[in-house]
Amino acid sequence: MTRPVLEVRDLAVEFDTENGRVRAVNNVSFSVNAGEVVGLVGESGCGKTVTGLSLLGLVPSPPGEVVNGEILLDGHDLLKLNEVGMRKIRGGEVSMIFQEPMTALNPVLTVGYQMTEVLRLHKSLSKRQARNAAIEMLGIVGIPVPSKRIDEYPHEMSGGMRQRVMIAMALSCGPKLLIADEPTTALDVTTQAQVLDEIVRLQHQFEMAVILITHDLGVVAQTCQRALVMYCGELVEAAPIDSLFASPRHPYTQGLIRSIPRIREHKIDRLPVIEGMVPDIAALPEGCHFADRCNRVQADCHERSPVLTPSAEAGAVACWHPLEPQHD
Amino acid sequence: MTKPLLEVRNLVKHFPVRGGGFSFVRQQLKAVDDVSFTLLPGQTLGLVGESGCGKSTLGRALLRLQEPNSGQVFFEGRDILQMNRAELKAQRRDIQMIFQDPFASLSPRRTVAQTVREPLDVHDIGTSLERRKRVEELIELVGLRAAILNRYPHEFSGGQRQRIGIARALALNPKLIVADEPVSALDVSVQSQVLNLIKDLQLQLGVSFVFISHDLAVIQHISDVVAVMYLGRIVEQAEVSSLYASPKHPYTQALLSAVPAAHPAAGAKRIILSGDVPSPISPPSGCTFHPRCPAAQAKCQTTEPRQTTLHNGDYQRQFTCHYPLGS
Amino acid sequence: MAAVPETIVFVAAPPRQGLWSKAFHKFCRDRAGLVGLWVVLLYAIVALGVWLGFWAGDWADVTGPKWGPVSAQHWFGTNLIGQDIFARALYSTRTAFELGLVVAVLSTFVGAVFGAFAGFFSGGWIDELVLWFMGVIDSIPFYLLVAAIAFSLGDSPYAMYIAMIATFWVGTSRLVRGEVIKLKEFEFVEAAHAIGLSELAIIFRHILPNTFHILLVQATITFVAAIKSEVILSFLGIGIQDGMSWGLMIAESTIEVLAGFFNNFIAASLLMFGLVMAFNMFSDALQDALDPRSVR
Ligand SMILES: Nc1ncnc2c1ncn2[C@@H]1O[C@H](COP(=O)(O)OP(=O)(O)OP(=O)(O)O)[C@@H](O)[C@H]1O
Ligand SMILES: Nc1ncnc2c1ncn2[C@@H]1O[C@H](COP(=O)(O)OP(=O)(O)O)[C@@H](O)[C@H]1O
Ligand code: SF4
Ligand code: SF4
Ligand SMILES: [Mg+2]
Ligand SMILES: [Mg+2]
Repeated sequence: MTRPVLEVRDLAVEFDTENGRVRAVNNVSFSVNAGEVVGLVGESGCGKTVTGLSLLGLVPSPPGEVVNGEILLDGHDLLKLNEVGMRKIRGGEVSMIFQEPMTALNPVLTVGYQMTEVLRLHKSLSKRQARNAAIEMLGIVGIPVPSKRIDEYPHEMSGGMRQRVMIAMALSCGPKLLIADEPTTALDVTTQAQVLDEIVRLQHQFEMAVILITHDLGVVAQTCQRALVMYCGELVEAAPIDSLFASPRHPYTQGLIRSIPRIREHKIDRLPVIEGMVPDIAALPEGCHFADRCNRVQADCHERSPVLTPSAEAGAVACWHPLEPQHD
Repeated sequence: MTKPLLEVRNLVKHFPVRGGGFSFVRQQLKAVDDVSFTLLPGQTLGLVGESGCGKSTLGRALLRLQEPNSGQVFFEGRDILQMNRAELKAQRRDIQMIFQDPFASLSPRRTVAQTVREPLDVHDIGTSLERRKRVEELIELVGLRAAILNRYPHEFSGGQRQRIGIARALALNPKLIVADEPVSALDVSVQSQVLNLIKDLQLQLGVSFVFISHDLAVIQHISDVVAVMYLGRIVEQAEVSSLYASPKHPYTQALLSAVPAAHPAAGAKRIILSGDVPSPISPPSGCTFHPRCPAAQAKCQTTEPRQTTLHNGDYQRQFTCHYPLGS
Repeated sequence: MAAVPETIVFVAAPPRQGLWSKAFHKFCRDRAGLVGLWVVLLYAIVALGVWLGFWAGDWADVTGPKWGPVSAQHWFGTNLIGQDIFARALYSTRTAFELGLVVAVLSTFVGAVFGAFAGFFSGGWIDELVLWFMGVIDSIPFYLLVAAIAFSLGDSPYAMYIAMIATFWVGTSRLVRGEVIKLKEFEFVEAAHAIGLSELAIIFRHILPNTFHILLVQATITFVAAIKSEVILSFLGIGIQDGMSWGLMIAESTIEVLAGFFNNFIAASLLMFGLVMAFNMFSDALQDALDPRSVR
């Protein structure tokens, strides 16, 4: 049995907004084992990024605040650390790559400068050592002629290359856990394929755990071993990839799987959709938040909120009337 | 044979750019380089390719939002590029555009009603009352409620904004709409809603589309004919089913295999292209795809491939490669 | 043709506020800004009262002794020839508002138009011309320019107004130009082109309204700059030509200060300081409230 690197329990994050205090993440519990790639999926605004940020203590405050929960990294609660302790963790044991490779790198500093900065901070290397380590890392993530490109500025690189630089930076201190927030959403399919391949390869090489945040279940299918599905700040389903795709239990998961854009043998007239749209988290409906869009909704769904309950095949689902598990 | 609605011949758009470093030599960035295609009434041409290959530039050049350097764009037999200002303004009624970024494509300080109504005002169509009725009709046509007409764009989600943009494009009853990545910025679940809407509208109103996207799954769903672009050129062009069933150009094949599988079990063999798109300022010699092409041979580095045309009933199939697949 | 497709999307989000009312709410939460606004309004009422003849109508009359002390009748005492300093200071508020408003409105307008055209046609000859013009104005020392204009207009009372407008629009114009260069790359501008709108209409209907937040803040900054410059110009004798102003009062006070009489100086400085301070507080809060990054 593999031990979990990360255990999150009952995490809740709130924000102060014009429309009052809203709960962006509610009651989220999950764990990530060493060497595992876990996908965190859901539509935009469902709290994926906020969950990722709170693991690193990066929730902007104000207006944000982690109001409840435990985040155990190797058994130590990160929420109990002060800022200095947290800074040691960030970029060291846990690192993060962001969606927009354009803005995540400082445009006026060379790639080399930004990379060696991280290395020297966490590993106390000399300037020369850090530079060599950075060049090696750039080579590992597949940047050609790294000794030359290390002196370039971010704008001299393409989006895919910048994302590789971000990955190189994130991995340079050998983290136990990598959080990748939509690392390929801003990229082309071809570059996306390259970058995802790179992440999977490096995950094996460094034996680290990865949380891959994305709104595209296709990406999850291709890279992850397990997936967590979020809706309106809550986890609605968690399951190993194979059973999730073969037999989704939550109607929302099923809807998401159906709406993955895919190349089909025969053209169809209408794409399957989840009707309606995500409710505003400032005015969530009573009971199950998905009820307005659900095709299995029944009267009781509007009254009581379903809670995440373990089901068969090491999965869990938060639904009063889940789909039947299918066995083939 | 039906007469084409749009016929583009040898369209070229170059941008002058300053050379790298301290050089002041003006170089040409060949954003669109000798592009030709035809589009029949009521059909959709899907334009697909990697970022920076010139899709948006081509789309804008069709509307003369960016003046092309040379070439011809025949719309119902008349060359748009030869038109003067007044003719062009009249022509704008027939060709409209839908944009990629739902957050940037609507004027933030104008209400939905003002935005959708503006084309009618500009072209002086109908009385004030008729315009108001038409705006309501349009907003319902794209699946929104007339009650939202006095709201501002920031109150809407990306998918809803995209619908408003579509309503604006439809206001003048255009014959052709150039849609530049209209669903790329949307969540997958919302993407399907908007795609369904576009398809419904096309069936209902008979509008033709030039539909730009980098997503092959989206292109397959929406298009009748597909053109694949690489470094400013169309490298393969075919009717949708034959293109997806048997791509001729190695680049098309690589694009197809890069689409994430919809299922973990569907472990198709993937071709991962190495490297990035080369700079369009100094494209590679010979076939511009050769540094990344898995099928490249010595000849590809030196000799530019010519375009091959296969006739297949009503449709033509064209590709530009020395060693096409499956032959 | 009005058959409705199946996918009717309901607007689930509650009606949210418009951009301006959001900014307004944000502003209302800013203490310093509110205090600033109230003080500015108080000054405005004083100025309006003067203008309507409710008070300080006797600012030019001799109503007391030379250098009379502070008393119930003369709150700030009287000056060299026995005029009431408080009345003169109040009257000067009107002068300050007149000057501030005229200069702020006109220079912001000029700056907006030039900036918008330069930005919209950036890289073209219009832009080059405007930039050159701004460069020229920037390179002439302000006080020299006023003197030159005053001289050429034959001591016209408007010389200072014209000089200020001619100088202050440049700052606004640069800001607007930068913003417009950014805005014109937005797709909504391209969309306006695509429906056949003329360039002029695009500039005035689509682009300029999106710079209102900048213009508003610039106008308040110009207002303060005008009042402050007036003091120095009047002190130098090339400012306000007839009437009364804080600058003239301070100029007047130079002789008095030597004689150990500070009332004129203190009254003018205090009132001006109060207004400038309040306006700056208001302006800062306005800037925060209108910041598009926070008002989304
Ligand atoms: N105004 C301009 N000046 C100079 N170069 C330009 C200009 N507009 C576009 N380009 C260049 O032309 C090429 C094609 O750009 P275009 O925007 O058409 O690409 P695209 O295929 O639409 O890409 P994306 O998928 O990123 O939207 C790019 O190399 C781009 O940098
Ligand atoms: N700085 C912030 N201030 C207020 N609300 C925020 C902030 N950041 C995120 N939120 C809200 O939290 C919710 C979840 O956001 P996020 O985690 O970014 O979503 P996503 O799943 O797309 O990554 C959203 O409703 C968002 O509006
Ligand atoms: S609880 Fe009810 S409404 Fe919610 S997902 Fe399950 S069936 Fe649908
Ligand atoms: S011509 Fe050669 S390099 Fe170009 S696509 Fe064909 S095989 Fe590849
Ligand atoms: Mg996010
Ligand atoms: Mg584009």
